[in-house]
This record gives sequence, C-alpha cells and structure tokens, in this order.
Amino acid sequence: MKFDHVTKIYKETKAVDDVSFDICKGELFVLLGSSGSGKTTTLRLINRLIDPDEGTIYLNGNDTKDMNPVELRRRMGYVIQQIGLFPHMTVKENIGIIPKLERWKEEDISKRTNELLNLVALPPDYFRSRYPHQLSGGQQQRVGLARALAMDPPLLLMDEPFGALDPLLRMQLQNEFLSIKRKLEKTIVFVTHDIEEAFTLADRIGVMHNGKILQIGTPSELLFNPVNEIVSKIIGSENKFKAIKFLQAKDVMIPMDKKYLLQENMTCQEAVNIMISNKIELSIVKESNGDIKQVILSDLLKNEDMRRSINDFGRKLVIVPPDENLSSIITLLKSSNEKLAIVMNQNEIQGLVMIDSVLINLV
Amino acid sequence: MLDTIISVWATQQLTLRTIQHLSMFFIALSISIIIAIIAALLVYSNPRVGNIWFNILNVIETIPELALFIFLLPILGLGEPPTIAACVLYSILPIMRNTYTGLANVSNEYIEIAKAIGLTKNEILFKIRLPMALPLISGGIRVAVVYTMGIITLGGLIAAGGLGVPLQAGIHQYNIPAIIIASLWVGTLGVVFDAVAWIIENKLARRYNPW
Ligand SMILES: Nc1ncnc2c1ncn2[C@@H]1O[C@H](COP(=O)(O)OP(=O)(O)O)[C@@H](O)[C@H]1O
Ligand SMILES: [Mg+2]
Repeated sequence: MKFDHVTKIYKETKAVDDVSFDICKGELFVLLGSSGSGKTTTLRLINRLIDPDEGTIYLNGNDTKDMNPVELRRRMGYVIQQIGLFPHMTVKENIGIIPKLERWKEEDISKRTNELLNLVALPPDYFRSRYPHQLSGGQQQRVGLARALAMDPPLLLMDEPFGALDPLLRMQLQNEFLSIKRKLEKTIVFVTHDIEEAFTLADRIGVMHNGKILQIGTPSELLFNPVNEIVSKIIGSENKFKAIKFLQAKDVMIPMDKKYLLQENMTCQEAVNIMISNKIELSIVKESNGDIKQVILSDLLKNEDMRRSINDFGRKLVIVPPDENLSSIITLLKSSNEKLAIVMNQNEIQGLVMIDSVLINLV
Repeated sequence: MLDTIISVWATQQLTLRTIQHLSMFFIALSISIIIAIIAALLVYSNPRVGNIWFNILNVIETIPELALFIFLLPILGLGEPPTIAACVLYSILPIMRNTYTGLANVSNEYIEIAKAIGLTKNEILFKIRLPMALPLISGGIRVAVVYTMGIITLGGLIAAGGLGVPLQAGIHQYNIPAIIIASLWVGTLGVVFDAVAWIIENKLARRYNPW
C-alpha cells in the first residue's frame, strides 16, 4: 500500500497534511501520535470512508479511487475501540454478517465462525449464540477481531482496538494479537496513541503530529535517531535515556544459559549440530588464554571445510562488568556495531545483554 | 348477576360482535403497520418528501374522529370500510413517526462500523437501522392499538358492526345492563391488548436495545 502526497482538509484544519508512505506486505505498521494528530483520518482514507482532497492512495499498485468502496471495504478488516458489535445480533451473526451478505452457505458460515472463535480464544459452543451485552469488554474486542477476519482479508485496519481496556487485559490481548498475527501473516495498519503498545507490536512506526508523518522507522531507529525534538518528545526518548543512565548491566542482563557455551576447538560440524538442536544462532567460546569470543552460526555454515576448528571463527565480543551502566553499554555496542554484550565478573560469565530486547522492555 | 350477563350476552349477540370487532381491529392494525413502516422507510430514504408527509398526518390526527367519519362517509359509504380507513389514518402517524425516529436515531457508531466493514446503504437500512428501531416501532404500534380500539367502537355509529353496536343499542333503549356489560367488555379487551403490546415492546427493547 502506498500514500502519495495525500491531504485531507476539514474546513480550516489539515487533518492529514501531504502524507506519503509505503506499507509492505505482511508488515505491522503502527501510526503513533497524540489525539487529534490525524491517525484515524489516515486510516479512514485507506478504506474510503473518506476520500482525499489531494494525492493518491494505491493498493497493490492500483488507485483506490477506481475501486468500488463496498468491495474495497470487504477486502479489509476493520476493528475499532468503541462498542462496534451490533447489539441486536448474536456473536455468530455479527461475525457472519458479511459472509451472509456475500451469500455463503449457512454451513460454511458456521464453520468459519467456529474457526474464528477458536482463533480468538472464545469457545464457540459457549459464545456463538450470545449477544454482545452478555460479553465482557475483552470478549467483545475479540469478537470484533474475529468479525474483521471473517472474509480472510489481506489487510487489517485497527483503530485503537485495545484503548478502552484496563492495562492488564490490554497487555494480554496485545500478546494474543501478536500470536494471531504470526499465524495469519496479514498486513496490518494499527493506530494508537500508546507508545508502549506501538513498541510492543510494531514492525515499523509512523509518528504523526498535526496531520504530518514526521518520521517512519523501527522502534530502535526512532529511539536513537529521532529526526527532531517533537519526535523525541513523542517517543519520550529523554525519559528513556534517563532510565538508560541509571540502569546497570546486571539489571537488564539475561542470566547465562549453558546452551550458549561451546567447548573450544570443536569442529564446525559439531558446533553447527549443537546450535541447530539448541535453536540458537550464536554461541560463546571461552578460549584457554582467557579470551571470550562469539561464534555465529551463519559464519560456520558459509565456510567450506566443516572439519576446521571453531576457534578460527571466533569474533571479538563486547564485554562489560555487572555495574556498567546501560548508556555506556549502548555506546560501546553502537561503536562496534554489535547487538550483544557479555556481562563478566572477574573470570565468570554472568549473563547476556541483548540490546534490542532490553529496549523493547524499557518502553 | 351471572344470569344478567348471560342474557345480555345472548340478546346483544356479543360473541358475534366481538368477532366482528376483533377482525376489524386486526385488519386495520395490520394495514396501518404495513403502510406506516413502508412510508417511514420511503421518507427516510427521500428526506425531502418527509416533511410534507408528516404535516399531512399531523393535520389528520387533529381532526376529531366523528368529523373524519362524516368526511369519509360520502367516499366510502357506511359500515366497515370507513371505520377501517379512519383507524388506519389515525394509526399511521404514531407508527410512522416512531419508525422514522427509530431509523434516524441509531447511534452513529453503528452506522460507521457497518459502513466500514462493507455494508451498502440499503443493507445498513434493513439490517442495522430497521431492527434497531424495532423497540420504538412497537411503542408506536402500542399507541395505534389504543386508537384503533376506540375508533372501531365508534364505528357502531355508522353501521360497522362490532362492539359499538350493543353500546349504541343500550343507549337508545336505555338498557343499563347492556351498556355496562358491553363497555366493561370493550374496556377489558382494550386493557388486554395494550398489555400484550407493552410486553412485546419490552421484550423487543431488551432484545434490540439492551444498553
Ligand atoms: N469529520 C470531521 N470534521 C471536522 N474535523 C474533523 C473530522 N474528523 C477529524 N477532524 C479533525 O481532524 C483532526 C484529526 O483527527 P483524527 O484523525 O480523528 O485524529 P486522531 O485519530 O489522531 O485522534 C482533528 O483536529 C479533528 O478535529
Ligand atoms: Mg482517533
């Protein structure tokens, strides 16, 4: 999907102001911004609930203006924060409303409803015939997601779907949603004002402010290279940097698991076998001279002679003491272009700091 | 006491009158409901004609029943047709007004999401607006039930049959027991139908507007 210089004006305000971006197939793209920044308007432009005043929106290379809006919408799931379910229809009727209008056979609708209810963790026998007002907020939101998936649309539009839920439930639904997402491989445009939610879910984030997209990037790109003050304020980089200053390696490390350790002088073949069976891509080797090196699976696989010793493939590694603070670890890693540091106390390996997962947990 | 009731019932042919009365009632009410709902749907989809319609009906509602009868007599003659016509003319307005309000007042959230998941305008009207308007529609029908009962009783004046006849006869012949029994019976029927309509209205409200 592609936005090409799209503008939408309401009277005086430019709700969406000359916005251009691309969304790749299979990606979860988050529009992040405070209330009134134009996120909902952008989303509604995609399924033509509104049409742009300027610019073009392409779907698979075709201008959406040339498509029938009803057909277009039926190929996109839509989930919103508000109630959203029709109160006079049962769960099954809500989920099956579009399939029924598309004249699916009754048994196919039943089958599809059951599949979807199972997918969103609602036992069909128990929930199928209930009415929305008999469900909790979280259950309603799950049914809303199931309805959006009914026609198996390649694209899913979600407008603050978890916004009305209490924090604990929100977290649980976010996790469920991520695992559903992995199963379905859909392209998703997800609107939120909640930075934690954005960082938890997003492949890429577009930061919106006053109708403009200020920056598009992965969570860590936005955190470390905000293009301007506004972005860093929205992302809250400053607060995060404060946290980064007082947190120490031992606070954020993952305790060392033996499976990451390899004996020195192993052959490549042996090491590859062990790493694959342990499902890891990277191992640590402690050499007899006391050096600590990392061995990367793809290095071993690229090499021709699997009888060579893994010592030949050891790479240097960032090593830090347990009381090193996070900001120096990040600087060290950036300057050596690494993502992993080893925490060592005297000669003892204590743990690993994986910078990506640390940052995701920070926000 | 019981003897009087039985004898009045027999001499005034109350079984026959009740059957006539109820058949006119159901015919008139069905016609009113059908016309009113169709009219409301049409008016809703073409708002420009809406105002004219409602103005006409508002005027009709202010004409006293008797005057309307007299007005309809030369057109439809004596008996059942003008009575049913009068019932329908009076009942359309409350049903239509409520239907229209019900259609128009469905919360915008539902309309937005219906549109967003790909319902057409007509599908929204029939699958979302109309069912969600049902509690209000049945409220309008309840008003129509009361109107219809009353007008059919008046229909006795213009030879329409029904339970207005024994009342008229009782008044003419100064037959107090006939008046009392016939009016109590009409009253009972009215209360029962109103109660039934009320129960249905509540059921619908709980089913279609639970929040
Ligand atoms: N239908 C509308 N009419 C007038 N102004 C609107 C309308 N929809 C949105 N706006 C304005 O456009 C701006 C962006 O709104 P919106 O896209 O809803 O923001 P967000 O979803 O990020 O909170 C706001 O200033 C809002 O007041
Ligand atoms: Mg919004």
